[in-house]
Amino acid sequence: MSITSFTFVAFVFAALILYYLVPKRFQWIILLLASLVFYARYSEKCLLFVLVTAVTVWGAARVMQGLSDGRKAYLKAHKAEMSKEEKSAYKKKIRKQRKMVMLAALLLNLGILCVVKYFHFALAQINALISLTGGEGIADTYRLLVPLGISFYTFQAVGYLVDVYWENCKAEKNFFRMLLFVSFFPQVTQGPISDYEQLSGELFAEHSLSYDNYARGFQRMLWGFMKKMVLANLVAPYVQDVFANYSTYTGISAFIGALFYSVQIYADFSGYMDIMCGLCEMFGIHLTENFERPYFSKSIAEYWRRWHISLGAWFKRYIYFPIAMSNWSRQLAWKSRERFGQGISDVLPATIALVVVWLCTGLWHGASWGYVAWGLVNGLFIILSLWLEHIYAAWKKALRINESAWLWRAFQTVRTFILVTFIKVLPEVGTLSDGFGLWRQIFTEHTLPKTVDELLPALAANGTANFVVIMIMIVLLFVTSLMQRKMPIRDYFARVPLPGRLIIMACGFAVIIIFGVPAMASGGGFLYAQF
Amino acid sequence: MEELLEILNDINPDVDYDKEDNLIDGRVYDSLSIITLITRICDTFDIEIGPKWMRNENFNSAKAMWAMIQAIEEDE
Repeated sequence: MSITSFTFVAFVFAALILYYLVPKRFQWIILLLASLVFYARYSEKCLLFVLVTAVTVWGAARVMQGLSDGRKAYLKAHKAEMSKEEKSAYKKKIRKQRKMVMLAALLLNLGILCVVKYFHFALAQINALISLTGGEGIADTYRLLVPLGISFYTFQAVGYLVDVYWENCKAEKNFFRMLLFVSFFPQVTQGPISDYEQLSGELFAEHSLSYDNYARGFQRMLWGFMKKMVLANLVAPYVQDVFANYSTYTGISAFIGALFYSVQIYADFSGYMDIMCGLCEMFGIHLTENFERPYFSKSIAEYWRRWHISLGAWFKRYIYFPIAMSNWSRQLAWKSRERFGQGISDVLPATIALVVVWLCTGLWHGASWGYVAWGLVNGLFIILSLWLEHIYAAWKKALRINESAWLWRAFQTVRTFILVTFIKVLPEVGTLSDGFGLWRQIFTEHTLPKTVDELLPALAANGTANFVVIMIMIVLLFVTSLMQRKMPIRDYFARVPLPGRLIIMACGFAVIIIFGVPAMASGGGFLYAQF
Repeated sequence: MEELLEILNDINPDVDYDKEDNLIDGRVYDSLSIITLITRICDTFDIEIGPKWMRNENFNSAKAMWAMIQAIEEDE
């Protein structure tokens, strides 16, 4: 069921009616049924994968909770007769048992993710190695099912499992509630990746029908549909053409293609988030925000705090800190302090953790060397900014740069946007060498196009009206992002008198029907759904 | 508490640790400074700050950090 289809709109409408008709304590059951129907419409077989994740994570969490509660009760009952050493040994024994349970569930779920997502990639690498030795390799005739949103729901479930292990949250007793947490339809395909405490508070609370929630949710959905169906889909043919034939493009046209890709992926992904956050608002549920005007960031590190926020937070919490704070990492830092001084010792644990995080981030996005390179290049920029922080500070001081001046801040923003654009296209053009090929084309092909048709051939082929709409949408996106520095755009919108709001929304709807619906064929599905 | 304040002032002396209660949420400390901070706390107080303690509220103020250190000492 495509999110941009009329079937989806009808499905949501039916779910909303039922949601507010049933007694409030049963509202979450409607959400669960809607989620199962939504997923089963995609693939009944793949629903089994979601069920396996929900069952194993729920069961493992319950066992860990049982061990933890048992430990507390035992220690309380034997408080007086146990020595400190005995208590410590007992705690250690229970911790070990809990760890084994957590690891078993973790390995099973991450194992499923790895097999369905990386099997073909791993086999291709094995075959490449075999061919080096003159062997024939293994025929890749296997066709594995890749469940929709597996990277998203597995990470969300794993986060919950680890949180229960760390005793940061209590295990959910009701299996069906856990199933809803894993399969909640607005977020199962593209996130955001939520933590259990936050999302369960929203999912299982009782919600009343509210005009404000409906109006604000509808406005946000409309804006999301405009971003995806109009902007992302209209830009898509140009981007696809540049990526497919980059060697025939002039450097400037190829560069514009890369910039348009940045526009496309932002409109696509943030458009999806707007649709789903708006939809959830109609149910009275607030999802975690995944974007905070990322293209206004002043460094790559800041960009990653503002783009796909929930994934960054997940990696930080479950990979970055555990690695940076591990015993061996701290011992390494301690040894390096003796040898290289405090400065190196301070950044070493973070550097090791960042390399692992960015390698995993690359692989999470896709099973290809392009994504591995993409992750490592992002990590490299962040690590360099850590190591060279003092040198940058000295340069800025020597050049007497006023860091609060708008010109300097604008330079930082534009620089970061261009850097991010170059990194983004690396895995998207085709193979990794195609990604570098596009870079080469941009930097080495200096022919200046003489006409607009030569500069933007695919856009010219798609009509002037489409081009004008793309430009208006880009300006609109830029202006609304600027306005959001002070307050959310919907708060500005709420100040417009009702007739004005209705006219604006009608215009938005008309633009979607006139330009967005025909562009659906060229734009296709959501880019992030493939991850 | 004095030892903790010493560590904090060494990492970032431009903060009033008696009043500041938004060190993490307000991005006064980024993820690198947190690691430096935790490493030094572990070394100084001879404790293990496991991932379960890595919650913003435990590091948002000197007072919260001190409470966390005491809780870990008790737990160990």
